[in-house]
Amino acid sequence: MGALKILLDGANRNRTLFVLLAGFALFPIYTGIADLPFWNDLAMRIMILGMAAMGLNLVLGYGGMVSFGHAAFVGVGAYCVGISQYYGLYNGWIHIIMALGACGALGLAIGYLSLRTSGIYFIMITLAFAQMLFFLFVSLEQFGGDDGMSIDRAEFIIIDLWEPLRLYYLIWAALTLSSILLMFIVRSRFGVVLQAIKGNESRVEAMGLAPLPFKITGYVISAMICGLAGALFASWQEYVSPDIMHWTRSGELMIIIILGGLGTLSGPLLGAVVFLLLEEILPELMHVVAPNYAENWMIIFGPILIAVVLFARGGLMGLVQRVTGGRT
Amino acid sequence: MTITLLLEQMFNGLQSGVTLFLIAAGLTLILGIMDFVFLAHGAQVMIGAYAAASLTALTGNFFLGILLAIPITFASGFLLEFLLIRHLYRRDHMDQVLATFGLILFFNELIRIGFGPAALFSDLPKALSGFVNILPEAPYPMFRLVVILVGLACAIGIHVLVSHTRVGAMVRAGANNEAMTAALGINIRLLRRFVFAVGACFAGVAGMMIGPLTAVEPGMGEPLLILSLVVIIIGGIGSVRGAFVAAVLVGMVDTMGRVLLPVILRSFMGQAAADGAGPALASMMVYILMSLILVFRPTGLFSPKG
Amino acid sequence: MSETVLQIEGLEKSFGALRATRDVSLDVAHGEIHALIGPNGAGKTTLIRQIYGSETSDAGIVKLRGEVMNGLNVPQRVARGIGRSFQISNVLMDFTVLQNAILAEQARLGESFRFFRPAFDDPALIEGAEVMLDRVGLGDRAATPVADLAHGERRLLELALALAAEPALLLLDEPMAGAGSEETQHMIEIIDGLRSRAAILLIEHDMDAVFQLADRVTVLVEGGVIASGPPDAISADSAVREAYLGSEDHA
Repeated sequence: MGALKILLDGANRNRTLFVLLAGFALFPIYTGIADLPFWNDLAMRIMILGMAAMGLNLVLGYGGMVSFGHAAFVGVGAYCVGISQYYGLYNGWIHIIMALGACGALGLAIGYLSLRTSGIYFIMITLAFAQMLFFLFVSLEQFGGDDGMSIDRAEFIIIDLWEPLRLYYLIWAALTLSSILLMFIVRSRFGVVLQAIKGNESRVEAMGLAPLPFKITGYVISAMICGLAGALFASWQEYVSPDIMHWTRSGELMIIIILGGLGTLSGPLLGAVVFLLLEEILPELMHVVAPNYAENWMIIFGPILIAVVLFARGGLMGLVQRVTGGRT
Repeated sequence: MTITLLLEQMFNGLQSGVTLFLIAAGLTLILGIMDFVFLAHGAQVMIGAYAAASLTALTGNFFLGILLAIPITFASGFLLEFLLIRHLYRRDHMDQVLATFGLILFFNELIRIGFGPAALFSDLPKALSGFVNILPEAPYPMFRLVVILVGLACAIGIHVLVSHTRVGAMVRAGANNEAMTAALGINIRLLRRFVFAVGACFAGVAGMMIGPLTAVEPGMGEPLLILSLVVIIIGGIGSVRGAFVAAVLVGMVDTMGRVLLPVILRSFMGQAAADGAGPALASMMVYILMSLILVFRPTGLFSPKG
Repeated sequence: MSETVLQIEGLEKSFGALRATRDVSLDVAHGEIHALIGPNGAGKTTLIRQIYGSETSDAGIVKLRGEVMNGLNVPQRVARGIGRSFQISNVLMDFTVLQNAILAEQARLGESFRFFRPAFDDPALIEGAEVMLDRVGLGDRAATPVADLAHGERRLLELALALAAEPALLLLDEPMAGAGSEETQHMIEIIDGLRSRAAILLIEHDMDAVFQLADRVTVLVEGGVIASGPPDAISADSAVREAYLGSEDHA
C-alpha cells in the first residue's frame, strides 16, 4: 500500500478524528467573522490537551499501561522552553527538539525502571516518579520554584508567532502530525504487538517476542508526544509552573481519554473537546441553578467520572460507534 | 548540629513514620488482599481529620472529639465499600484508578462545600501541649510523643488482629479467593467490608493525629497517599510488617534527609550550591530510595502477606 | 535412532514445603509422541513450565537439541524452537482468528519493529497466516472474532499458534481439554499428522487419545516419575494401576 492509500484508509476508519481536525482548521474563520477571538484561545487549549491525551492513549488505551507519570512529560516539555529562554535561547525549533529529546530520554529512563514491574506496582511507581519530578521543579528556585516562570512567545524561524493565528496553526499542525503518526503506529506491526501485549502478554511471549522492548518503545513515543504538547503549551500560556506536572493532571488526562473512548484514535481529542467545554459550561450552569455553590462545580466531575467507569466504558466513541453502526 | 537537635529530628522522623504506617497499613491490606487500587485512601485521612476537628469544636474536648470521630470514619469506610467499591472488585486496575480518582475529586469538593476551602486550625489539647524531656535538657513536644505512642499501639493492635485472631486468619486466607472462603463458611462480602472499614479507621486516626500538627484542609490526604504508596512499594504489597518497617524508614529518611542533606552537601560543595541543590535533593530522597530498592528487590523488602 | 530433541535430567522444583518436581528425567526424540500422564496435582504442568521457561527449576538441566536452556526466558526458548499450547486457551480474544495467526507469522519472521505498513493488511503475512490456519482446519473461520469461537475451535487455534514457528519441540498441555468426541478425534488426527515434524511432549487425561498417539508414556505421581515406557507396558504396570486411578480403563 502506498503511504497516501494508508493515510486515506486511516482517515476513513477514524472519521471523527479527521472531522474534528478539519473543524479546528476552519474554526478561526468562524471566530473571525463572529468576532470571538477568545474562542481561539480555548480551541488552542483543547488541541494541546488533546495532543497530550493522544500521547498517553498510546500506552494507556493501546498498550494497557496505566501510567500516572505523563503529566510530568508535559511539564518537562514546557520547562524545556522556559529553561532555554532563561539561558538566552529563543529559537522555537530548538525548544521543540529539546523537548522531544529530554522527554525521550526521560521516558526511556522511567520506562525502563517502571516497566519491569506490572499491575499495581507499575501504577504506583509512575505516580511516585511524577511526584518526584514535581518536587524537583518546585525546589529549583532559579527557575521560579513554586511560583513558576514566565515565558515569551518563542521565535520560530519563518513563523512569526506574534502574528495572530500563527501559534494557532502551529499547534494545529503539531496535533495533525501527531494524529497521523499515531494512526500509522497503531496499525503497524509494532502497534499490533503492543495491543496484543495489552490483551495477553503471555501469548506474545509464546510467539517468541519479548514484551519489554515494545512497551518501552511505546512509552518513549508517548512521552515525546506529551513533551511536544508541553512545549507548545508553554508558548501558548506564556507561563510555566510545577502545577502543570502534578499527578492530578495525569488523572485529568486519563479522564479525558476515558470520556472520549479508551483505545480509539478519535477518543482523546473528542474527550478534550467535551472536557474543556464542560469546564466552561458547568460553572455558568451552576450560577444559574445553584448560585451559592457556583464555585464548587467541580463536584460534578467526580460522579461523572465514576458513572462513565461503571456504565459507559467505551466513552463517547462507544456512543458514536453504536449510532453509526461500527464506523468511527 | 547538636545531639539534641539530632534526637529531636529522629523523633520527628519516627512520628512521621508511624503516621505513614497508619495510612499504609490499610492501603497494603486493601491492595494486597483485595487487589484493589484505592487511590481515595487519602480522603479517609481527610475525613478523619475533619470529623475530629469539628467534633472537638462541638464538644470542646479533644479526646471526646477523637472518640466520637473514630466510629464515624469506620462507618464512612463501611458505607463507601457497600455503595461503590464492591462493584469495582471485578474491574481491571485502570477502572479502579479512575473511579477512585473520581472519588478524590468528589470528596475534596464536598469538604470544600461543607467547611470552606480555607484550612481549619485545630489547637493542641491543653493537656498535651507541654514538653517532655526525652533526655535531660532535651525537651520534645508532648503531643508528638503521644502520636508516636498511639501509632505504636495501633501497630501492635494491627499485628495482633492480623496474626492472632480468627478474623485475621480469614483475612490472610485470602479475601480474594471467593470460592475457598465461601466453602469455609465465611461471608466474604462482610469480610471485605470489614477490612475496608478498619483500613479507613486507621487512616482516619492518622488524620486526627496530624490535624493539630499541620493544617486540616481539602486535599490534605493526597501527599500522604503518595508517600504511603511509596511505603508500600518499598515494604511489599500485602505485608503489614513490611509497611511498618518501610514507613519508619521513609519517615526517617524524609525528615532527617531534609535536615542533614544540606549540611552534608555544604561540606563538599560551596554554600550557595548546597543551598540550591539541598532542598531539591532532599525532596527527592524518598523516591530515590524507592528506585534503588526496586532495582534490587522489585517486589519490595518483605514477601507478600507478611 | 532419531535425534534427541528434549533432554531433561534431575529436574527439581519446590514451592515452600511442597516438592512439586522430584528428580525428573526424560527425553523426547524427533518424530516421537511422548505422553505425560498422572493424577491431578502430579506436577505435569509445573514440569512443562520448567521446560518452557515460565518457571525456574531449583536443580536439574533442560536441554534442547543439546543446548542448555536453563537461564533463558520464554521468548528466547521459543526462538530456539519450543512451542507450547496452553491448557487454558491463551489466544488473543480482542482479535480475529486470522489476526492471531498474522501476529504469530509476524513474530516468526522476526521483523516486528516496523511502524509504517498496516500489519493486518500485509499480503506477505496473510499468506503465511492462512497456511497456518489451514493446517488445523480453521481456514474458513479466519474472519471470526476469537471471542465468538466455539471451545473446540479455540483449542485448534491454540494448536495452530503453537505450530507457527515450526518448533522442534511441541509441548501440548491437554489439547483435548473440554472438547467433544468429534473434536477430540479431529485433534488426534492433526497431532498424529505432526509426528514426523517435531518432538512432541503431550499431557493428556484422555486415555483413548494417549493410546492412539503415544510412542512412549511417562507416568508422573506427586512430582516424581514412577514408570516410563511403551503404552502397553505402562498399562500393565501394577504400580501405575495402583497409583493412578484413571477414569478410562484400557488394558
